[in-house]
Amino acid sequence: MARLQAMLGRKPVVAVPARRIVWRRYAKEGLKYLLAVAGVLVAVTPYLYMVLHSLAPWNEVNRRFIPTELTLRSYEWLLQGSRTVAPKPWLRALLNSAIVTAGSTFLMVVCGLVVGYALSRLRFRGQQTVYNIILFQMFYPAIVLLVPTFLIVRALGLYDTYWGMIVPKAVSLWAIFMFTSFFKSIPQDIIDAARIDGLSELGIVFRIALPMSIPITTVITLFLFMERWSELLWDLIIVQDENLMTLNVLIATMSGPYGNYPGGLYAASVILTLPILILFLIFSKYFRQGFQLVLK
Amino acid sequence: MVFSDWNLIAPDWRWVGLQNFLEALQSRRVQQAFLSSFRFMIFVVPLGLAVSLAIALLVNSLKRFQGLFAVGFFLPYLASGVAVSLVVRGALAFNSPVGRFFLNNFGYVPDWLGNPWLAILIISLMIVWKFSGYYALIFLAGLQSIPKELYEAAQIDGASSWRTFWSITLPMLYPALYSVLILMVGLMFGIFTEPYVLTKGGPDLATHTWHLEIYYQAFSALRSGYATAISTLNALAVFITVMIVRRIMERWGRNLGWVD
Repeated sequence: MARLQAMLGRKPVVAVPARRIVWRRYAKEGLKYLLAVAGVLVAVTPYLYMVLHSLAPWNEVNRRFIPTELTLRSYEWLLQGSRTVAPKPWLRALLNSAIVTAGSTFLMVVCGLVVGYALSRLRFRGQQTVYNIILFQMFYPAIVLLVPTFLIVRALGLYDTYWGMIVPKAVSLWAIFMFTSFFKSIPQDIIDAARIDGLSELGIVFRIALPMSIPITTVITLFLFMERWSELLWDLIIVQDENLMTLNVLIATMSGPYGNYPGGLYAASVILTLPILILFLIFSKYFRQGFQLVLK
Repeated sequence: MVFSDWNLIAPDWRWVGLQNFLEALQSRRVQQAFLSSFRFMIFVVPLGLAVSLAIALLVNSLKRFQGLFAVGFFLPYLASGVAVSLVVRGALAFNSPVGRFFLNNFGYVPDWLGNPWLAILIISLMIVWKFSGYYALIFLAGLQSIPKELYEAAQIDGASSWRTFWSITLPMLYPALYSVLILMVGLMFGIFTEPYVLTKGGPDLATHTWHLEIYYQAFSALRSGYATAISTLNALAVFITVMIVRRIMERWGRNLGWVD
C-alpha cells in the first residue's frame, strides 16, 4: 500500500526501513485501544463512584474519591435503619420493582408477539388502518395521555396497587412495531405448512414464530425491561403506599428528606443497578446480533 | 378535559373553553419549559453527535474486541436516571472531591446547580453520557453497512483519510445521522428524572422542563385540566420542532448532494 501511494506521488518518497513502518502501525493500533479503554472507563466512572461510596465509611462519603477503608455500614443501614430513623422497606421495594417490571415486560412481549403476528400474517378488514394508527401513536408524545390514563386507572380502582403500575404499561407500541416488521421476513411457506399440520394461529405464534425470532425477542425484552425498571414518572404518581413503591421511586422520594444519608442511598442505588447490569451482561452476546436486526 | 377546570377530586367541574390554553401560553413557567428544551438542545445535540460519532468511528476501526467495547460504551444507557442524579449531586456537593479539586486548583468552587447555565450544562452532560453509547450503536450499524469498495476506490484515488471521511463516511451515514438527530430533538422535550432529583427546575426555572410542569400542575397543584392543556402544547411543540428539523436536514442533505 505504501508503494502504491508512493507511485501516485501523494506521499513523499522517503526510504523508511520496513521495521519502523511496522512499529508505527502497532503504535497507532495500541493508541486506539488505549483511547477506547479510556472512553469505557469514563463511561463507567459514575458506576464506580456509586459502588465505592456505598462501601465507604460514612464520614468519607462524598469527601474523598477513593475511601481509605471499606465497610458494609450503608447496607446495614438499609436493612436496620439507625437509632433515630426506622428502616424503610428497601427489600420490599426491590421485590416490588421485580414484580412490576417482570409483569409489565412479560405482557408487553406477549402482546407484541401476538399483535405483531396478527398485523403481519393475518388478513382482516381494517388491518392497514390499525397498523397506521399504531404507527401514528408511536410518534405521538405519550405525555398527553398521562392525566387521562391516571383518571381511568383510578376509576378502575387500581390506584395504589400493583395492577395500577402494570396494566397501563402492558402494551408497547414499539414492541408491536418491531415484531410486525420482523415477522414479515418469515417465509410464508413455513406458516402455511404449520396451518396444514393443524396448528392454531396462537400455536403458530408461540411454536413457530417465537423460536424463529429468539435474538430479536431477547433484545426487545431487554430494552423493555430496562425502560420499565427505570420508569419514574408513572410509578411516582400512581402509588402512595410506601410498601408498594418500586425501588426507583423509593430512592427518588427519599433523596430529599434523607439527604443526610448519602451512603445509604448509594447502597440502594447499587441494589437498583445490579440486577439490570447482570441481566444485560448475561445477554450481551445476543444483544449485538439482535441490535443489528432492531435497526433494520 | 382540556377545556375544564377539574381538580381530580371535586364531584363537579366547569367548562372553561380555551381559558386553560390562554393561561398556559401566558404562564412564565410554561414559557420557561418551552425555552429550556432549546437550552438543553444547544449542548446536547452538538456534544451528543460528536461523542457518539467518535465512539462509533473508534470502535469500528478496532480490529478485535469490537463487540466488547460496544457493550462497554453502552453500559451508561442501563443506568437509572435517579441513581445517576444522586451520584452527580453527591459528587458536586459541598466539600466533595470535585469541589475540593476546584478549590485547590482554581481557588474557588463554582455553584454547580445554582448557576442557570452550569445546571443546564451538567444535566446536558448527563444526558450525553447516558445516550451516547446507544446512538453510537446506530452509527456503528450505519458504518458497517458502507460497502468496502468505496473505501478501496478512495484509496486508489489517493484521498486523504480526512477527505474520505467527509466524502464517503459522512454522506453514507446520512440516514443514521437523520434518525439520531430526530431522536435527540424529541428527547429534549421529555426530560424529567434528572431535573426532578437535581434541581426541581431551578435555579429560577432555568431547568424547568415540560414534564416537570405537567407533573407539578396535575399532581401538586391538582389542576388536571390545565395540565392536560399544557401537555397538548408540549405535543404541538415537539411536532413543530421535529418538522422543522426534518425540513432543515432534508434541504441540507439535498444541497450537499447526499440524498436526492
